[in-house]
Amino acid sequence: MRPDDLKFQKSHEWCKIDGDVATIGISDYAVSHLSDLVFLDLPAVGSTVTAGESFGEIESVKAVSSLYAPVTGEVLESNEELGDSLEWLPEEPFGKAWMIKVKVTAVGSELMDDTAYDAHCKAEGSD
Amino acid sequence: MLVDEPAEAAWNMAVDGALLELAEEPTLRIYGWQPHAVSLGYFQAIADFADLPEGTSIVRRTTGGGAIHHGDELTFSLALPASLLPGDIAASYVLLHDAIVRALATIGVTSHRATSGKVAAARPSSRWCFEKPVRDDLITDTGKLLGSAQRRTNTSQPRVLHHGSLVLNRPQHTPFVAAVCDQVPITEFLRNELRTELIAEITKVLGLAAQLGERTAAEVAMTARLCDEQFRNPAHLHRR
Repeated sequence: MRPDDLKFQKSHEWCKIDGDVATIGISDYAVSHLSDLVFLDLPAVGSTVTAGESFGEIESVKAVSSLYAPVTGEVLESNEELGDSLEWLPEEPFGKAWMIKVKVTAVGSELMDDTAYDAHCKAEGSD
Repeated sequence: MLVDEPAEAAWNMAVDGALLELAEEPTLRIYGWQPHAVSLGYFQAIADFADLPEGTSIVRRTTGGGAIHHGDELTFSLALPASLLPGDIAASYVLLHDAIVRALATIGVTSHRATSGKVAAARPSSRWCFEKPVRDDLITDTGKLLGSAQRRTNTSQPRVLHHGSLVLNRPQHTPFVAAVCDQVPITEFLRNELRTELIAEITKVLGLAAQLGERTAAEVAMTARLCDEQFRNPAHLHRR
């Protein structure tokens, strides 16, 4: 069950915006398709991420996938424990497996609510 | 489809990077390595390869997995929309590996996909891609015969770069690999036959028609840029 206050991108990142701070991670759907996660690379605190551009990378089954930022802004926190605890992603993708917290200066233009994201996942799965 | 002569490691990786970003058609590229080179998986640490002889050509791939010593091998890359492969990453390896098993069978080489063993879940216990086969790897009775890895992007349209390294003769730094030469003599005729069959089987499972093409001007320009900024850049090699 997903929390109902999240927004999603087509590339399967979620974000929760609270005031001017966005918490960002990847969805349960993304985690189920990646499976067997091995490595994670997240940006350093103080760096800047840009909506629609890559902010990190994750490796599973010898495949490296880029992670795309839903917002623009400065990285306030990076979940440093997650890299050594990748089992958190399937366990709690919307909880302790958050990836970064960003001080938002702009929000991406293509964020979806849960219903629209579900439809997107179904369409992608039927390709 | 592109067929390139053996070339420098950085250039090879830059071509594949440009194809991942720009190729308008699904592209199967066949190539080789001159000089022979070691490619590291994207997340590997360069410090783990300090024992390689001085002067060894080393490049960091954008694809995952372990390091490969690229000697006499049949190397291929596939750059294509993700929708042409199964959504599940492991299933995409199964599809391509089974195609290559069939290609190898036509030249008299017996191989199969490992159906037991651990999945590539935990952090690799070996720095070399070929050292410890995992489930779905393409193997023979003597070891792992094919290295595979992928890069996936998801900007406007999800895309995949798939790398495959099929060993013909056993390379110097990784003597534990299986090689085609274990089962059949490597002749020019055999190289051509294997290449033809590999192209036929891969394009068949993807539902594509093989047609020889050329790089576009944009792909050539991006290749040059990626060479300079990324694959020949020591900062990229030493980023981990």
